[in-house]
Amino acid sequence: MTPSAFHLVWLVPALPLAGAAVNLFAGKKLGKLAGWLASALLAAALAISVAILSGMLGLAAGDRLFVQHLFDWISAGSFQVGADLRIDPLSVTMILVVTGVGTLIHVYAIGYMEHDPRFGRFFAYLNLFAFFMLMLVLAQNYLLLYLGWEGVGLCSYLLIGFWFERKSAADAAKKAFITTRIGDTAMMVGLALIVVKFGTLDFSRVLVSRGGSPGYYPQIGPVVSHGAVTAIALLLFAGAVGKSAQVPLHVWLPDAMEGPTPVSALIHAATMVTAGVYLVVRSHVLFEASGTALTVVLVIGLITAIYAATAALAQDDIKRVLAYSTTSQLGYMFVAAGMRAYAAAMFMLVAHAFYKALLFLSAGSVIHGAHEEQDMKQMGGLRSPMPLTATVMTIGAVSLAGIFPLAGFFAKDTILEIASTSGRTSVYLLGTFGALLSAVYIGRLVFLTFFGEARSEKAERANESPAVMTAPLVVLAIGAVAGGVLATGIEGRLPGFLEPVVGVFREGGAGLAKGALIAIALGVSVLGLAVTWFLYGSGKVDWLALRVRLSPLHRFLERAWYVDDAYGAWLGTPGKAAAAFAAYVLDARVIDGFVNGVGIATNALAAAGRRIQTGFVRNYALAFLVGAVGILLYVGLKI
Amino acid sequence: MRTPIAYFLVTSGLLFAIGTVGVLIRKNALLIFMSIELQLNAVNLSLIAFSRMHGSLNGQVLAFFSMVVAAAEVVVGLAIIVSVYRRTGSVSVDDVRELRG
Repeated sequence: MTPSAFHLVWLVPALPLAGAAVNLFAGKKLGKLAGWLASALLAAALAISVAILSGMLGLAAGDRLFVQHLFDWISAGSFQVGADLRIDPLSVTMILVVTGVGTLIHVYAIGYMEHDPRFGRFFAYLNLFAFFMLMLVLAQNYLLLYLGWEGVGLCSYLLIGFWFERKSAADAAKKAFITTRIGDTAMMVGLALIVVKFGTLDFSRVLVSRGGSPGYYPQIGPVVSHGAVTAIALLLFAGAVGKSAQVPLHVWLPDAMEGPTPVSALIHAATMVTAGVYLVVRSHVLFEASGTALTVVLVIGLITAIYAATAALAQDDIKRVLAYSTTSQLGYMFVAAGMRAYAAAMFMLVAHAFYKALLFLSAGSVIHGAHEEQDMKQMGGLRSPMPLTATVMTIGAVSLAGIFPLAGFFAKDTILEIASTSGRTSVYLLGTFGALLSAVYIGRLVFLTFFGEARSEKAERANESPAVMTAPLVVLAIGAVAGGVLATGIEGRLPGFLEPVVGVFREGGAGLAKGALIAIALGVSVLGLAVTWFLYGSGKVDWLALRVRLSPLHRFLERAWYVDDAYGAWLGTPGKAAAAFAAYVLDARVIDGFVNGVGIATNALAAAGRRIQTGFVRNYALAFLVGAVGILLYVGLKI
Repeated sequence: MRTPIAYFLVTSGLLFAIGTVGVLIRKNALLIFMSIELQLNAVNLSLIAFSRMHGSLNGQVLAFFSMVVAAAEVVVGLAIIVSVYRRTGSVSVDDVRELRG
């Protein structure tokens, strides 16, 4: 018996879509109401999601799958694509995160954006984003998923460039769109390959069981060669790399911080960037069938986790620290997925959605309170003017740093534990090193922002943000603290809930004992925080002088290993040169030359031809005569 | 003794040539018009001559037909010339050269 709430699933994406439509056309007239309307609609979607969850919990684990067929989307011969929504534990987890965190961020944005002249449009975009994100996670086939995938990319573009009067914002929006497009194009090729090999895009026929529950994955599917599966998995992963800002397509995410802070929290921390992780987990059957693809996921994730953490160490812009941190944490999720620990990846995703959204929104509160100051060098001592923000942001930071018993601790510890017990020692060591770096960069952020003396006039005049902004922060802080109830390791509520979809993680037995692992993880986090306290909090070290002494290293990290500059020099400059060649030589000379040449030749021909047209009737008559005589001669001579 | 066909044809050719030259060298629209009539009648003459030679009435019928057409053409042509005169105050075809390229 299907719970009745399941039949309402179409409302989950439909409500934000309706909100987007209303706010797009009538946002100006609604004024402040626009924000409340958008928040209320998403909250309603959240309520339905919760109802779906409770309905699902009443079912046996093997029955927790429901597909709602809305309408036939594409029907071409044997190729069918339906607008089908899929409810299973994985998609329910995702819609709860999207609607839950999304609603809080919507409410926060009412306060954050209150003086913006395009208030209504902002909420229209936010709601539109929520719609596409929900379509992405609810899709039952890859094409519908791709629709959501591209839609969130579009909304990301619109929202990063929301303050498009600033050239940097417009540029960042373009950069984000174009960079992710590289991955998206690969993903589209992957979809085409799926159609060729499987003849369908439907999950129920593409994802054929090699693990997980038979109810979710059919046992028999088309025979597809190993090479083809690897190619498909890698192409899908390329899309995930772009969307989730993994190396080498990570460069857009730090720049995306040009967008309003609620956007950074919603799209570039909690939801859209995690779509890549969702895609890998959803398609894990393909990745496992390939094997190679899983290794690629693991390696890319690990590189990103370490690399982005080092870059986060040297950023001065409070939001850029968090952006690199997000990239790094997403790397951890891919590491988990690459080790087949999909439940751990999803747990990290959920926990990260809470504490990173919290950190971003707190950063927004800091920026709002400190009169649009984003540079941490100009902050300091904000603890006393904004105590609530300082408290919740510290909670988020401690959660991210991985201090027991906050959500971040369990999330990160689970992944490291799996790396150790499954015998992947190098992954474990590098992951632990990354965890140390995480504690250092987030500790640095907290100490520079909230402790010490105010280092600028703006920081001195700072004041606390309104309740509409701080209330969501408190709720998120509770999530960042108590997220551990979902899982405290490989076992737990969330892994148990997801088990029918992703199976159980079984590798183990190697590596260190659980107690030792926890001690090491905690020790590393505390060490990291202690180091930053000594450097930035104790007042004994002149960190600005230290920075000058280490300036080559500092610049290297601040410029994120010069990757952006390298892309600019090796790809940007030749690309611009090629474009200039195409525009000024190929187009202006060759193409235009040909087109204009045809015109000039026609003109010249006409100039010659018009001489014949004298306007004297006699000339015409003579021409008749000559013509007639000519024809007669011709005919006569032929006969 | 019948008059040989060649006589008629030579006369017809001469008339046609005179008409052609008239069309080509005269400026006055009326004279050009008359020259065209001359050409038409030159052709009529040869038509009738051939008709008689072959003992068939076809040529004569055709000649009548062309006369009728010529009469109709005169009506139209003269009307045009009159209206051109009203417009330009002249019947010289060189004054009407709006179609010059």
